Amino acid sequence: MINVSLLAVDPAESPHWLFPELPEIIYGGISSVLIFTALWKFALPQFKKALVARTERIQKELDASAEDLASAQTDAAGIRQALGDIESERSRMLNEAKAQAEAMLADGRTRLTSEIADMEARATADLATVAARSGDELRAEIGRVSAVAIDAVLPSVLDDATHQSLIENFISKVGASR
Amino acid sequence: MSERIDGYARALFEIARAEGTIDEVEDELFRLARTLESNDALRNALTDERIPVSRREGIVEDLLGNKVTNTTVQLVSMVVAGGRGRDLPAIIDKLVQRASSAKQLEVAEVRSAVGLSADQQTRLAAALANATGKQVNVKVIVDPSVIGGIVATVGDTVIDGSIRSRLDNVKSRL
Repeated sequence: MINVSLLAVDPAESPHWLFPELPEIIYGGISSVLIFTALWKFALPQFKKALVARTERIQKELDASAEDLASAQTDAAGIRQALGDIESERSRMLNEAKAQAEAMLADGRTRLTSEIADMEARATADLATVAARSGDELRAEIGRVSAVAIDAVLPSVLDDATHQSLIENFISKVGASR
Repeated sequence: MSERIDGYARALFEIARAEGTIDEVEDELFRLARTLESNDALRNALTDERIPVSRREGIVEDLLGNKVTNTTVQLVSMVVAGGRGRDLPAIIDKLVQRASSAKQLEVAEVRSAVGLSADQQTRLAAALANATGKQVNVKVIVDPSVIGGIVATVGDTVIDGSIRSRLDNVKSRL
């Protein structure tokens, strides 16, 4: 009916200023259908393929980014751990150095105390030796001087009466012995 | 050497005993022996072989002269002339021992700073006999080094009552 009517009218004339002429609509519609069909049949798969490829690429990029992120996070964790280890090592070394210093200090104090005690003992012994030697030398000198003085003085002091008294005393003592 | 000294001692003893002066000679020789022991110059003069015998006999004459009996001078001159001046003290000691033995006595060498009287010597002999249990022939030596008191030696026994020993004790204690 429609086709009849279309055939009946002048194709060069449009019934309304807004609508095209019927053949134009038909041919235009067919053309559109052909175009859309061609697009659906040939372009759409390529488009879908491109989309899939793009999606895959994006996904790959996302995965790579995720991997990078994970790697970065691993590195960051490693760095943080290393920092922690460094801090721990620093603390350990500091503690060790402090312990060594305290041990050396204690050892030094002990050694110094021992050396001081030894030096004091040696000094005391030396003093005692010197004092004893000085005392001995003084006594020997006193004895020597006394002996010389007595030897020089005594014979002149002893008079004959004293000599006779000493002799009589000797005779009495020897006679009384046994 | 010992036999020669014994021989000289026996000879001197027999001569002195024959002369009847053994006691005096014994005392005089004993004092001479101690003098020789303490006087190096005199000992050297009597023992020096380079000095002629006559000169050494002259020294003996000068030294003893009228101080001792003639027998003592002759005996000493005989020993010196025989070249035995060096052994004179030992010969005299043997002679004294022999004389004491002949009298059944032990020689008591008594050193004193001063001489002892005859009475003191008699009492000292009695005291030493009492102390040692032996009859002794006291021979006194005047020795100033004793300083005072007496040192008596009878055989191996020494009885020291001298000032010198007391001083030595004090000295050693000092």
